[in-house]
Amino acid sequence: MASVKDAPDTPAPVRHLELKATLLLVLLAVLVFGSVLYLMYARGAFEPTQRLVLVSEDSEGVVVGMDLTFAGFPIGRVRRIELGEDGKARILVDVPRQDAHWLRQSSVFTLVRGLVGGTNIRAFSGIMTDPPLPDGAVRSVLRGDSTEEIPRLVAATRDLVNNLTTLTAENSALAASLSNVRATTEKLKGPQGAMGVLFGDGKAGQQLATTLARTNALLARFDAMAVKADAQVFGAGGVLPESRETILQLKGLLGDARASLQRLDAILLDAQAVTGNVKVATTDLGALRADVEANLRKVESLVNEVNRKWPFARDTEIKLP
Amino acid sequence: MIVNLPSEGAHARPARATLRWLADWARIIHFGAVIAVLAFSPSSYARDNRPALARQIVQGTVPVLWWFTLLSSLISLVLIRIVVVTALSYGLTRYALEMVVRVLVLELIPLTAALFVAVRCTLPDGEELAAMRRSGALEALTRGGVDPMRREVLPRVLAGVFSAITLAAVSCVVSLLLAYAVVYGFTPWGFAGYTRTVGHVFNPALSLIFVLKTLLFSLAVSVIPMASALIDPPPSRSRTSAEVRGLIRMFALILLIEVASLVGNYS
Repeated sequence: MASVKDAPDTPAPVRHLELKATLLLVLLAVLVFGSVLYLMYARGAFEPTQRLVLVSEDSEGVVVGMDLTFAGFPIGRVRRIELGEDGKARILVDVPRQDAHWLRQSSVFTLVRGLVGGTNIRAFSGIMTDPPLPDGAVRSVLRGDSTEEIPRLVAATRDLVNNLTTLTAENSALAASLSNVRATTEKLKGPQGAMGVLFGDGKAGQQLATTLARTNALLARFDAMAVKADAQVFGAGGVLPESRETILQLKGLLGDARASLQRLDAILLDAQAVTGNVKVATTDLGALRADVEANLRKVESLVNEVNRKWPFARDTEIKLP
Repeated sequence: MIVNLPSEGAHARPARATLRWLADWARIIHFGAVIAVLAFSPSSYARDNRPALARQIVQGTVPVLWWFTLLSSLISLVLIRIVVVTALSYGLTRYALEMVVRVLVLELIPLTAALFVAVRCTLPDGEELAAMRRSGALEALTRGGVDPMRREVLPRVLAGVFSAITLAAVSCVVSLLLAYAVVYGFTPWGFAGYTRTVGHVFNPALSLIFVLKTLLFSLAVSVIPMASALIDPPPSRSRTSAEVRGLIRMFALILLIEVASLVGNYS
């Protein structure tokens, strides 16, 4: 039978046992309390915050704890999501005071859901000189959901496919057009070629062929006429050489006429000189005429005086009745 | 009648096994309750019991702490590198750190620490208790006026709990530091973003589940081997040893706790 002493005290004694045990306890306590404090700090328990309420039609994808980002930097954290009285989702965001200056009264908030990854709440502040966003501000959030575009895209694609199906159906306009094109190309390859396509196989085609033949004959006659005209115009006794001689003669006549005109010019100069002399003579004649007229007036007044004084003078007085 | 006898025995055997299984678990729970009462009673930490408690804590923690920290650091480094490089190649770098924290700190390290403590500390302690029980040393303590539960059992259980929690805490901190160094390098400029990510991962519910899981793991690996050593019948009456039975029960309970924590975290 074992005694009380020999069973439990078999292990070798540990040096500085109490100290090591105390150190281990202190280590564990430090680790646990340090971790708790770090997690509280990481959760934002020690920083003053202000509240921002974002109102959205739909809060799908928004979870408590997700970030509000500004220029890619997280500046806030979603604390609560609740359904408002008006049926809209109210997303309550805590923004630390030290980051709140990035949010202005004119800031815009968006809620974006991507195809891959989670939902993102983003803030955009265009005018940084605006007043800062007050505590408890309520703002509407704009939704940009790429998955919401998918049903619209599918509907549009379905319409497109329907249209394509209609276009490519057996009795569609496109099929008829294509068959017509095929018939046309076969005609083009036929003996009549494009003429057959343009005018068909009937009377019109034959008339056109006849017209063409007559046109050809007409062109041959025109050609012959052109040869004759060439001979008459440019030949040895043609119009053009004779015209050249005529022009030479006219040139000589024009030289004579120029000489005559020069002589006439000299005559005109002489005449101008004569005219000047006549003008002077005419001035003298004016003075002479004035003298003569003065003398004549004197003679007339003298005759009138003689007539008045003469006894046989007629009574020139007019008596009124 | 003769033909029916084996079938009756065959029907009766599972029922007896089930009853014995239930009775064993009831005894384990009762043992755990007794240990909890002793752990919360100040008289257990009287001057006479302190050296035994201190020795068990030091012997159960110090030899495994450095090895486990080193091994877990190496494994964490490899896992962090794999996760970060894979996330980088798929363009999901913003989720890499979160995934590292979730996988390593929340899931792998508490489980590994508990298993390591079980293998290196509490299972050998349970075997030691079973040997003392077989040799009559515990009865001798009782006859000598010493409570063996306070002197021998409680220090081993508390040492196991302490060791599991300490190993998990140290390894979690080291893994978080390694994750920071691998992702950001040796620069202080990533601290704000890193802290924010860690804070985002450790929301209150997840933190509570993490603490509860670590605590329950440590209790499972500490209580069950001791309970198996003390309540199981002697080896002559059973096909398996107390150590193996304790190991099976411990693994079953750890599995249950892990499943429950996964349900709580990700459901």
